Amino acid sequence: MTDSDGLPAGAAKRPITRRSVLASSLAAGVAATVSPPIISALGEAPVKLGWIDPFTGTYAALGTSQLNGAKMAMAEINKKGGILGRQLQIIAEDSAANVGQATEKLNKLVDQDKVDFTAGGVSSAEAAAMSHAANLKSMLYIAVGGHVDTITGTDCHWNTFKLCSDTWMLSEALCATLLKKFGKRWYFCTPDYAWGHFLYKGASEILAQAKGTNLGNAVLPLGATDFTSALIKVQQAKPDVFVVFQSGDDFVNLMKQATQFGMTKTMAFGSPLLELEPLAALPVEARTGWGVMEWWWDQPNQPHVKEFVASYRKLYKATPSGRSWLGYAAAHSFALGAARAKSIQAAKMAHAMEGMKLPPEVALEPDGPYYRAGDHQCMITEFVGEVNQKGKYPNLFTVSEELGGAKLAKSPAEKGCKLSYPA
Amino acid sequence: MELLLFDGFNGLIQGAFYALMALGLSLIISLNSVINFAHGGFMVVGAYLAFTLAPYIGFWPALFAGPILAGILGILVERTLVRSMYGRSDPIYSLLLTFGFALIIEDVVRTIWGAQGVPFEIPAALGSPVSTTYFFLTGYRLFVIAAIGLATIALFAFLRLSRFGIRIRAGILDLETVSALGVNVYLLRSVNFAIGTLLAGFAGVLAAGVLQLAPTMGDDVIMATFVAVVVGGIGSLFGSVLGGLLIGLAAGITTAYYPAASDVVIYVIMAVVLIVRPRGLLGQEGLFE
Repeated sequence: MTDSDGLPAGAAKRPITRRSVLASSLAAGVAATVSPPIISALGEAPVKLGWIDPFTGTYAALGTSQLNGAKMAMAEINKKGGILGRQLQIIAEDSAANVGQATEKLNKLVDQDKVDFTAGGVSSAEAAAMSHAANLKSMLYIAVGGHVDTITGTDCHWNTFKLCSDTWMLSEALCATLLKKFGKRWYFCTPDYAWGHFLYKGASEILAQAKGTNLGNAVLPLGATDFTSALIKVQQAKPDVFVVFQSGDDFVNLMKQATQFGMTKTMAFGSPLLELEPLAALPVEARTGWGVMEWWWDQPNQPHVKEFVASYRKLYKATPSGRSWLGYAAAHSFALGAARAKSIQAAKMAHAMEGMKLPPEVALEPDGPYYRAGDHQCMITEFVGEVNQKGKYPNLFTVSEELGGAKLAKSPAEKGCKLSYPA
Repeated sequence: MELLLFDGFNGLIQGAFYALMALGLSLIISLNSVINFAHGGFMVVGAYLAFTLAPYIGFWPALFAGPILAGILGILVERTLVRSMYGRSDPIYSLLLTFGFALIIEDVVRTIWGAQGVPFEIPAALGSPVSTTYFFLTGYRLFVIAAIGLATIALFAFLRLSRFGIRIRAGILDLETVSALGVNVYLLRSVNFAIGTLLAGFAGVLAAGVLQLAPTMGDDVIMATFVAVVVGGIGSLFGSVLGGLLIGLAAGITTAYYPAASDVVIYVIMAVVLIVRPRGLLGQEGLFE
């Protein structure tokens, strides 16, 4: 093979200039925000559920678990005859936990794919943005895993239901335990977006009410890989408790680095949302601390949980996490709502879902979670407990207390939610 | 002041990672004339292979085996895919090829090892601070600095003292003349590509000790690596090291005072360098113009 100059191709002239490297670097940045959609199998005249979650980036594992749970629910729903006699089809899109990309994908699903309802979101920011975008389209939306209070608070919409806890519920569940077990001198570490800021607001309020000392709050960008600077400040402050609001990859990176600095031996660690995926990614010595799980796979008193876990393991060769359950329950919620409304029309379904209690085979936790009528927030149970350092996957958490969501949540009025339906 | 020193040192550690990645990328850009978008992917592959091998052969052998396998994968990719790009004058082809390959690597890794991160264990002896006062100086961080330093010295010694290395350097300057002198430039480019991917794999194994080992781990580092190459000067290996250390230091110090700007600061540095000295800090005039 020779090139145009008659030289061997291996010796071809250099086609690269500084400009091309610069242009490529820019393209790399842009391209990182774009990824191909994942589309499920087609059925005949199906009811379409548009599913937007991060399958790339810091929350990729969590988004994938949510979708896996939803796909499992889809198979169950279709096996029982689908939604109002029509098969359910999930069309999934990658948000990369990016607000712009999430809303763009939601609009695309509504306008081009003509989906009947939408769900998804891991990051609070993307879930809040999708809630608003879905409202503009009068489209039913379930915020599956974006926790920020405002989604069912000051920015609540008639079309939006939130399955996961809100940030206040998580703060309440965690802080009571930390105050009881450890001291009142706390340091916080917050990812710089809605989720982190609302958690900090809630937890610092609770600490102040308990007359504790807030030693500081290190705010770091989402996706931060190096936490040394923040950890140096925390170590110097010598708190009783280091409250970590990071999740996903950020949580893993922080815990790995804190462990290597020896901090896990000198202070207690608290996390308002522990999840199986990041715990499984931690080396043994970094598996430590107390926290809250929104769902746990090992509930001996819940008969349906065992069946769910077995089916999920058979399907995905992994143990379901809280995210798997959230995805599963969200997809089932649409089917249950449509059955109650006898329609898939958004407003009718929204009315039907108000106060809707999830049946035991979907709820898979005590107290029968339900969508509260006043703000559409689901009242799920919080599992407070300790990371099980000596355990092997999936025995990485020991539940010490189960707290009903209804006792933890602020009322819709306290949250500032006023739902108004279109005329 | 003490805090500034802490953060400065930490920035240098971060910069050392960038420098190692940038060295490999710079070698590939300079001799293979390929803007290797898949460089972060090779980093991830090296780390995952080390993770898989470590339970069987131990951490220390895996530290070398993972990168070597990443290098072998690099040879295969160069021979089967990248080589066909050499005759094309427009870099867009190689750019699209490696970008596509980066996506393939990420998905293959996700398929084999799963989307969720995996627990990469480091030897217990390295996993604690060497001093209670300077607790941020952990055994592992010191080891990383030493390992990157040794790898860099070994690479420069290879390029300066070995016949093959000298040919690589000559090829970077004028590949046509090197070819005319009878040197097998196919082999030269294959080995060069493999060295680049081996360095990426080595950076991956080292990074997995402090970062989550997940399919997307390379995404966090690849942009900073490109910036390090541009700041240091395309075609200059010393420049890549300098560029990596500089942006790492800047990011570390910025984190201490204004964490939200720690990502942006490296692009600000790149913009300033491009305005003041477009060929980069140590870039040679006329090369890659």
